[in-house]
Amino acid sequence: MSNPTDVVVVGAGPAGLAAAATLGRHGARVTVVDEQQRPGGQIYRQPPTGHTRTGRRTEAGRALLAEAAAAPHLDWLPDTVAWGVFGTRAGLDDYAGPAPAPGRLRLGVHTPDGGRTLEPAALVLTAGAYDLPVPFPGWTLPGVLTAGGVQTFLKAQGLLPGRRFVLAGGHPLLLVVAAQLVAAGAHVVEVAFSQHLRTLLPGPRDLAAAVGNAAKLAEGAAALRHLRRARVPVRFGTVIRAAHGDPELDGVVLSRVDAAGLPVPGTERTVACDVLALGYGFVPSTELARQAGCAVAWRPAEGGWIVDHDDWMRTSVPGISVAGELTGVAGAEQAEVEGRLAAYGTLQTLGLLDADRAAALARPVRRILARRRRFAAAVLSRFAPDPAALNALVTDDTVLCRCEEVTAGDIRRALCDHPHLGTANAVKLLTRAGMGLCQGRSCQPAVCRLIAEQTGRSPEQIGAFTAQPPVKPVPLASLAAAARQHDDQG
Amino acid sequence: MAHYDTAVIGGGLLGCAIAWHLARAGTRVLIVEKDQVNRHASGQNAGSLHFQLEFRMVEHGDDAARLAARALPLHLDAQRTWAGLEAALGAPCGVALRGGLMLAETPAEVAALDRKAALEREYGLDVQVLGGPQLRELAPYLADTVRAAGHLPGEGKANPRLVTPAFAHAALRHGAELRTGHRVTALHRDGGRWRLSTGDGRSDTADTVVLAAGVWTAELAAMADVRLPVFPVGLTMSATARTAPLLPHLIQHVGRRLSMKQTAEGNVLLGGGWPAKLVTRHGRTDLDRNPELRYESLTGNADAARVVPAVMRLPIIRSWSGMTTLTPDQLPLLGPVPRRPGLHVATGGSAFTLGPTYARLLASTLLGDRPDLPLDDYSPARFGALNFV
Repeated sequence: MSNPTDVVVVGAGPAGLAAAATLGRHGARVTVVDEQQRPGGQIYRQPPTGHTRTGRRTEAGRALLAEAAAAPHLDWLPDTVAWGVFGTRAGLDDYAGPAPAPGRLRLGVHTPDGGRTLEPAALVLTAGAYDLPVPFPGWTLPGVLTAGGVQTFLKAQGLLPGRRFVLAGGHPLLLVVAAQLVAAGAHVVEVAFSQHLRTLLPGPRDLAAAVGNAAKLAEGAAALRHLRRARVPVRFGTVIRAAHGDPELDGVVLSRVDAAGLPVPGTERTVACDVLALGYGFVPSTELARQAGCAVAWRPAEGGWIVDHDDWMRTSVPGISVAGELTGVAGAEQAEVEGRLAAYGTLQTLGLLDADRAAALARPVRRILARRRRFAAAVLSRFAPDPAALNALVTDDTVLCRCEEVTAGDIRRALCDHPHLGTANAVKLLTRAGMGLCQGRSCQPAVCRLIAEQTGRSPEQIGAFTAQPPVKPVPLASLAAAARQHDDQG
Repeated sequence: MAHYDTAVIGGGLLGCAIAWHLARAGTRVLIVEKDQVNRHASGQNAGSLHFQLEFRMVEHGDDAARLAARALPLHLDAQRTWAGLEAALGAPCGVALRGGLMLAETPAEVAALDRKAALEREYGLDVQVLGGPQLRELAPYLADTVRAAGHLPGEGKANPRLVTPAFAHAALRHGAELRTGHRVTALHRDGGRWRLSTGDGRSDTADTVVLAAGVWTAELAAMADVRLPVFPVGLTMSATARTAPLLPHLIQHVGRRLSMKQTAEGNVLLGGGWPAKLVTRHGRTDLDRNPELRYESLTGNADAARVVPAVMRLPIIRSWSGMTTLTPDQLPLLGPVPRRPGLHVATGGSAFTLGPTYARLLASTLLGDRPDLPLDDYSPARFGALNFV
């Protein structure tokens, strides 16, 4: 199938919008593929079409959405899933139907009208991140949500998914979401922060990194002030131990932790609530990049597996660039800057921008990026959860893979019975953990942590579940219809 | 360094099953596997237990089908072996033999089905061609386009996730040794024994060696200066999300590439020979990288599934590629290698469905018993012309 797209940008969050707008302004024909109905991504999420909500939108979000809306040569495919990249390893052939022109990539997409392919010369992947799922007894009860999920309810339609909220975890987003909940009229019973306060206080190195990043620090400080004013207890060195209720959440057990982050026996207390929001950080959404064959690296402080790239954001696969959280979780501002850099790199590949001009355009962008990265390395990295502390929350009965109902005990037993096994894929094949509808997104971090604890192997040796197409579920009928289209054209 | 009665190279179904038979008989066995147990074809296939001739065996005309049919005595044996396997191993393997249907949608396909069934009955395989109300009653879920089906009551499925680990476990229980993550880098005769070296500088000896390494069999044989004609082919499999039981049978198609079944957990698995492209590196096939999935195979396989309309609404949640091992005549490659005393091979043919049978027969050869089925048609000797020494 021939189509006039030069570049497909996957994702319409800060990185995708910035990349698409920059590419379009420099004459590239761009198609933006996004799973949501309206652009913005998670952080600049807009209410669905037809809803009018008078929520506040940040200045940065407003500006970026306006810039993308005004950019030329942009084609939008909302409500669309990009599920597989083909031909990056062994090449594309035309013996089974028409093949794209040489040097083009084939991207399988599922749109509201069914399946089709897009065949751009370049791809910019900006799929973002999702909340790190953290298993503990009771975490699969209705009423246990992620902090990001609660925020989505608020941002999309101004909904409160319950009445009495407890927030627990170790990521600064908890404070922001708690303040938003209070502002929206919710009763926030407690915010439990797993770290001790002293480990979070800034040191001299952090103050240097904070130069030029004051807004980010101010946001956290303001949230904390709002919570204090609303008399919401924020307790440090406190973790979630269990959630209970039948059939849905009615309370949680919290306890103190010691200096190593491990629970202190005898300090458990029960708190009544109908929503628990968990915020331990984010996992980069690397599945499409990994499926395409892009090399990845293990960076625990940045969310786990991230996509390797050069200083124009180009991955190991020719034609594919990345920007935003899948290069390491660092927030919207850094994502936007990386999106512009990926666009300048791609424009050079397409011959739409010469090297000198690209270098000049990239200079101010690189300055901002360096500042953001210093900040991320010094400050955000200290919120990365400790694997031993997370493993300590899991009992043998705790379900790790909620789709296939595989418990931690099942995995421990499988590793004992088969001591020669020690990779994520081998454990998946033996236990079915990761084989369900969520395609391993919910359980992979916990399963890999458990394998590491049990076998002493490194995360690199254990690896990740292989990213297989479709990287998001796609109806069989959509794929079948795509086959008939192909036949018609052949 | 240690000495073994037998070194089995390959930790797949065949290697582990052969090791189980040998260890059970009291001999000293080593399994060497370069990756992890069950990592390749044994764990990647879709678990069909198809005792009828497959589409790939009948698509190239009657002569080719007649040649492929020489493996049918093994099919008959395998039907019995699978039925008793879980009891023999004392472990669940997901074996369910609730019957298989090979579908025909056009008059030409119905005729092909009749010819195939006649050939199978010559060998004693009781395939009945069903049509009309009889077929609808047996399989009400089939699309209206299906005119007839070859029915074999003993066909079904096994769980590829469980079968090979169960064999490995049973072999270890009987004292076999298993070394994973070790690749054999040299294989040669040394003082009347076989010496095999692994990448870590270690080397062991064995009186007999079994090559059960699937697509890697040819390069291992080459280390012993033997040419064996085995060829890798990349295949595509897909799984839907779990759903309530809707498909009790193994489904195949006589005129298209298709296999379909529902697992005990409720996923519908699709496969049946849709190609994946082997990856080349520096101009040579790179067997260590999974073949690349082709968009046309994923969509084509989905289209072939229309014969069971109820599956079309289900989401596909993963597709994967794997490799299987072909021989030029589609028959197994099973038995002693001529002029290489003590060197044996087991690969090719329908090596998942027939694997437990291959393993039992080859193990009896190794133990000095006479196998209870003639193996001449499958012997590496038929390719003797490829080897001058």
